[in-house]
Amino acid sequence: MFELKPMLSALWRNKVSALLIALQLALTLAIVSNASVIVKDRMEQVARPTGMDVENIIAATYMPIPTEYDMAGAVVADLDLLRSTPGVVDASVTNQIPLSGSGSAGTYFTEPNQEIGGENANYYQVDSHFINTLGLNLIEGRSFVPADEHVIGPNDQYHSKMAVVSKQFAEKLYPGESAIGKFFYSGANDNPVEIIGVVEQHLGAWPGWSRAGNVVFFPLLVTGNHKRYLIRTEPGQRDEVFKKVEDLLNERDPQRVVHVETLSENVQRTYISDNIMIKVLSLVMALLTFIVALGIIGLTIFWINQRTKQIGIRRALGATRANISRYFLVENALIAGTGLGLGTAGALIINQLMVSEFSQPALTLPLLAVCAIVLLLVSIAAALMPAMRAANISPAMATRSV
Amino acid sequence: MLKMHNIRKSYRTDTIETHALRDFSLEVNEGEFVSVTGPSGSGKTTFLNIAGLLETPTGGQYLLDGQEVGNLSDRDRSRLRNEKIGFIFQGFNLIPDLNLFDNIDVPLRYRGFNAKERRRRIEKSLEQVGLSARAKHLPAQLSGGQQQRVAIARALAGEPRFLLADEPTGNLDSLMARQVMELLEFINEWGTTIVMVTHDPDLARRAQRNIQIVDGQVSDLRQSIAQPEIASA
Repeated sequence: MFELKPMLSALWRNKVSALLIALQLALTLAIVSNASVIVKDRMEQVARPTGMDVENIIAATYMPIPTEYDMAGAVVADLDLLRSTPGVVDASVTNQIPLSGSGSAGTYFTEPNQEIGGENANYYQVDSHFINTLGLNLIEGRSFVPADEHVIGPNDQYHSKMAVVSKQFAEKLYPGESAIGKFFYSGANDNPVEIIGVVEQHLGAWPGWSRAGNVVFFPLLVTGNHKRYLIRTEPGQRDEVFKKVEDLLNERDPQRVVHVETLSENVQRTYISDNIMIKVLSLVMALLTFIVALGIIGLTIFWINQRTKQIGIRRALGATRANISRYFLVENALIAGTGLGLGTAGALIINQLMVSEFSQPALTLPLLAVCAIVLLLVSIAAALMPAMRAANISPAMATRSV
Repeated sequence: MLKMHNIRKSYRTDTIETHALRDFSLEVNEGEFVSVTGPSGSGKTTFLNIAGLLETPTGGQYLLDGQEVGNLSDRDRSRLRNEKIGFIFQGFNLIPDLNLFDNIDVPLRYRGFNAKERRRRIEKSLEQVGLSARAKHLPAQLSGGQQQRVAIARALAGEPRFLLADEPTGNLDSLMARQVMELLEFINEWGTTIVMVTHDPDLARRAQRNIQIVDGQVSDLRQSIAQPEIASA
């Protein structure tokens, strides 16, 4: 027995305060649901599989001091040294460190001499150990072998004849078919690049990029003024090896500046804005929910204090304690339902604006429903304590002259 | 109908214990119209609260319609109040946000009647008090006398066997007071037992029996207890 009609009549006569709480709930739902969609999107981005053994990889960057420097020789010697170090699984040279926010990209076509269309991809110049060093999962074809590698100077013109690509990129170029043995072209030229292998996943340099996951690896070493090594260690050995890497490289050749960091640190730095956004928005959502809960508690207590005599009358007329608690909980649920109904419309309108004006992800109905249910539960929980207090008002209040 | 034997009620604060009723014994027979008088602070309202199951006594025995009610749960007391007792309060105690129809509907909803039965009872009781045309009015749109008649209609709608009236004419002028009193006498003629607390000696005299409470006790036992049949508590 919910007394809905008289309850609605009573609410209508006290509509201002009820409407204010309903509007507060509506606004909270609109903000919380849109914040949730951003948080969810960012969390999914941060949690995306990288395809790499991130936790066990160390990245070392060095810059030689002499202007004339045998970079190719140094790379061979350094990698031999690193690969023979205890605890190291493999080591590789690369032009860029994955997930660092720094990298290079090109536009690739399936036909020669094209300028329009094509697919953008992040590219890496690597050696034959790269795929093993990163722990990438080769799902088709083969990896590079030493005979595939080419060494060129920074100003040399050279077109790689082959590449290993990410699965995502392979499916973009050749959807629904195997890309192995097929070709692509880099820019408006007619130099074909054969796809010899496909790796399951690699996020590339920029996880936030719209084409993140489109990655091409060329077997190429371009000598220049600095180089980067990636070193994969046995599980649990990373920190031990990390301590040695800088000393090992400096001892082998002191004429250079070496900087060592873990790939995890790179990833953390790359995702720092996402993580801050997640924390700030989560805090805002929690605060808004807390404030709306306080509002409901305050209003319910106010109404109970205002209606103490009325509660006593109801009790005198036969209402049980449960009747009284239920009355306030249902009344609160009606206000919350109104607010959440308004909030649902508001959330969808705000989301439309955010999608069109700020390229934010679209709010899904299940996520909106979850937010609405959580807020409904919070509002019920907020009203519960005052409603139970109301149930303890004595029926003798009906005969008191207050 | 109502038998109280050695009822005690005391209120305790940290430092003071006040005895509102002391060894209070009273019997009201079925169909009687009893008035209760006494000076302010004598325990009239406490008696009314205990008789109406709004408060529990500190000690003693209370039989309502033959049922010992001292140890009932709060839920059972609420049910008994709803089914057997009608209340008329000095301040009318109508719910200001509800119209007359909905005010009378309140106890009937707690009783669990269906909508059709509730409507029948509400319309009948409004007719009995002569306010059928005002069903959709709010209490604030009525005079004091009319509000008290609505309160009586609310009590009547539940068809209680026992009506407790707390200064039912206390807030009314003499003309309206007389009308309300006549209505109560009429209700009593139908067989409803009425206990009315009043300050007004003229109204008290119109009841079949008058009981005076002084210092939490019935001052004249000859008037209050004909033949006590309750074993000692």
